[in-house]
Amino acid sequence: MINIIINEWKNLIRDRLFFYSTIFFVLSLSLVVWMGILQQENQQQSQSDAQNHVRKQWENLEAMNPHRAAHYGSFAFKPLNILNAMDGGINDITGNVLQLEGHVQNEVIYSEASQALSISKFGKLKSSLILQYVIPLFLIILSYGSISKEKESQRIKLLILQGASIDKLVNAKSISIWIYGLFLLVVTVTIQSILGSTNPEIFKRLAFILLSYGLYYFIITSLSTYLSATLKDKTSALSSILAIWILWTIFLPKIWGNAVEKVHVLPDRKTFKEDMRAERNQGIDGHNPYDKRREELKNKYLAEYQVDSLLQLPINFDGIVMQADEEYGNLVWDKHFGSNYSIMQKQKSLYQFSGLLNPFASLQSASMGFCGTDMIHHLDFLKKAEDYRRVLIKALNDKHAYGGSKTGDWKWTVDSEFFKSVQGFTYETPRISNHLSRYLIDLLFLFCWALLIKVLIRVNAVKVNVL
Amino acid sequence: MKSYIRVTQTELIHLLRSPFKTTSILLFVIAIIFGSQNGYQLFKTHNKQIISISNKNTNSIEDMLLTYEGIENGTLEKPRRDPTIPYWAIWNVPSHAFKYPSPMMTFSLGQSEQYGYYKRVTNWSTTYDSDLAEEIANPERLAIGTLDFNFVFTYLSPILIIILLFNIGGLEKDLKFDNLIYSSKITKEGWILARFLFYYFFIITLIFILTIPYALLAGVFENHTVQYVNFLLLLLLYMILWFTIFYFINLTGKGSSDQALKMISIWMLLCIIIPGTIHQITSLKYPTNYMTDHLDVSRELSNNIFNLPEEDIKKSLLKEYPFLQNTQHASDTIMNVATINRSVSGLINSLNKNVSISIEFSSKKKNKFIKSFSKMNPVTTFQNEMNAIAETDFYAYRDYRTRIQDMIDKKIELILEDTWNNITVDKNRYAEYLKNFK
Repeated sequence: MINIIINEWKNLIRDRLFFYSTIFFVLSLSLVVWMGILQQENQQQSQSDAQNHVRKQWENLEAMNPHRAAHYGSFAFKPLNILNAMDGGINDITGNVLQLEGHVQNEVIYSEASQALSISKFGKLKSSLILQYVIPLFLIILSYGSISKEKESQRIKLLILQGASIDKLVNAKSISIWIYGLFLLVVTVTIQSILGSTNPEIFKRLAFILLSYGLYYFIITSLSTYLSATLKDKTSALSSILAIWILWTIFLPKIWGNAVEKVHVLPDRKTFKEDMRAERNQGIDGHNPYDKRREELKNKYLAEYQVDSLLQLPINFDGIVMQADEEYGNLVWDKHFGSNYSIMQKQKSLYQFSGLLNPFASLQSASMGFCGTDMIHHLDFLKKAEDYRRVLIKALNDKHAYGGSKTGDWKWTVDSEFFKSVQGFTYETPRISNHLSRYLIDLLFLFCWALLIKVLIRVNAVKVNVL
Repeated sequence: MKSYIRVTQTELIHLLRSPFKTTSILLFVIAIIFGSQNGYQLFKTHNKQIISISNKNTNSIEDMLLTYEGIENGTLEKPRRDPTIPYWAIWNVPSHAFKYPSPMMTFSLGQSEQYGYYKRVTNWSTTYDSDLAEEIANPERLAIGTLDFNFVFTYLSPILIIILLFNIGGLEKDLKFDNLIYSSKITKEGWILARFLFYYFFIITLIFILTIPYALLAGVFENHTVQYVNFLLLLLLYMILWFTIFYFINLTGKGSSDQALKMISIWMLLCIIIPGTIHQITSLKYPTNYMTDHLDVSRELSNNIFNLPEEDIKKSLLKEYPFLQNTQHASDTIMNVATINRSVSGLINSLNKNVSISIEFSSKKKNKFIKSFSKMNPVTTFQNEMNAIAETDFYAYRDYRTRIQDMIDKKIELILEDTWNNITVDKNRYAEYLKNFK
């Protein structure tokens, strides 16, 4: 088999078109990776500038009441992982700015896609676009005629007479083309590692990316070579593999993507907001002095401190009410946002199951996941930002309650030293090992597909008529 | 002429006898129906949501009118937010800005999933509020995109054409009897053209027929016939583009495989590589706007205004809204703090408007840049033209934002005018407010 592979490679290298195509691919991939990194760095710079800008404003806040500062709030700007340069995933679609303020958990807004006319339905020209669409097609071009060419020239008889079995031939030819795909993949990953900043975590992610794409290329080249062996001529082989490719890459992802939304239905924004508001209204309203629940809380604190009126309290009851209001709100947000996130995750899981029919879906999911640009990572960012909001607002409410002011003293202020002491929002992409279980299904399906095609070759190749 | 008719007849027989081609056509038809159904569904959802909000607003208006009657009869106490004060009366005017969907949306969802289509407008609103965010949806699904008619037509119809055309002239070359055909009365160019024309008319007819039921369902022919005709003309042009490219490929092709590969490569170039490259270049030149200018107004600059002494706020308001010079409060020597507090939104609105202008200007530059590639990026150009006809493109939503801003301005004007003239709002005055936001 190794001899056939070596022989195939000798033939490929002799082919001038192949040589030029390789140069073209290597240059294109280098350019695309470089552009991706440049764009990512540009964007990250804007993100850091925006984050620093709001932090500076926060640190230089004039003396103000802590509750007013809670309304003033802060912002979390979604940072970009370096591997966003390879696969942008959902980053163009999702918002980038999250307002963090008292009384409310906001939604992330201002997506790139909403800021201009629509351009590409398949995303930006990043290496993932080349690796997912262009290279597989090139591998198809290289492999669809690999066996039928031998059949048409009758050379296959000679090879069989020399002792090569059909399945060995199919395997060797597909592996030789697969190695070429791997070569382009390694080139991409290497350029990405050289041009972009790397650390062990990024290397781990890149290794998984390599594995996912490697498996997909194996599926494509094996299937294409298998069809080349089993179908009557190269035109039939080409039309069949192209039909499968179109089905996998263009048709099924959209059909399935739309279908999962119909299986696990998300609420519309209006219902979502109304349900949350209705539930929120059952808790304390921090700004309504006539609220009954506020009265109950007041009595509890008066009893606890053994005083008759709020003015006698050594603490500021307004801060207590605000925090109680906040904590009740948090329960409501957790329930409703949590329910949405859970539906989205169910949708994702169901989408991942389409890998059973479509290995391209598994590749896309794995690629986004390992690059840290999929929904799981997005939800992680939202969660961390919300956690930070709660810490921030609690710090402000606690200061309001226990900082030395009395109930009703809304003119009491804290200076910028206090605001500076509240840590700013920072976010780091989670380690892939924490989320690996979510992508195992994608790798599993890719592996199963590779295995299935191997079995197909083994079982059906013997039936190929070479005479 | 007879030869051309014979070519067409033979092509029809060939098509019917090819299971690969007929299955592809069937799949394409299913995709068109599925896509149109998705569009129609979203069109219906938008309408349903708008009607539901409007109904709720009607109920809320009725409640407010009863409140006024109660206050006027003395049977009701004034609530905490006193509706006889212009500020709260106008606050209680349910005014939603809607982006009414065009029935043509059935055929092109465009960017509609990127934006909100209803918004409750108050004097504190801006055109970049978070409640204008898109409907709740799975971001991965949004990234993959919805299979709507526009997508099927723009991206899948060229693939269907490839399947139907790739062996025209190629099969004959594969089997080496092409010269036999050209030796008859028809030329090579004429023969390929006749076969291409058959498929051109076949696909166009098929698509036109498939659009009619959904156009009827969505009510396109009630008010949007012109847009529908323009849409069909656009489809014709788009098909001509692809047939022309493929015609030259087949004319110079070396066989079926060679033609298929060239066709699919062109498809990939026009549909994926060129738009992707332009997308990336645009992002490099115009990175995502984090809207810090807008955020500054909503926090820092608003805060500065809140901290100004009432006298300064009054002066700024008189400068910003000259019509206030003729009001009672303008000539009053005693400062009414409540009046000033209820007018502050007027100053913040002016700041927001200035920021909006600069944001829209940067979007305009970005769009101009994208459009400068339209000749080398025909697929995106056609796609955006379809979105424009369906009123689902960036500009349709920009116009919607303009309408929202007009409503905000109107609210503020009314608040300022009536607050500064010390108007006490009764049922009739409230009814007049309502007229302004119908």
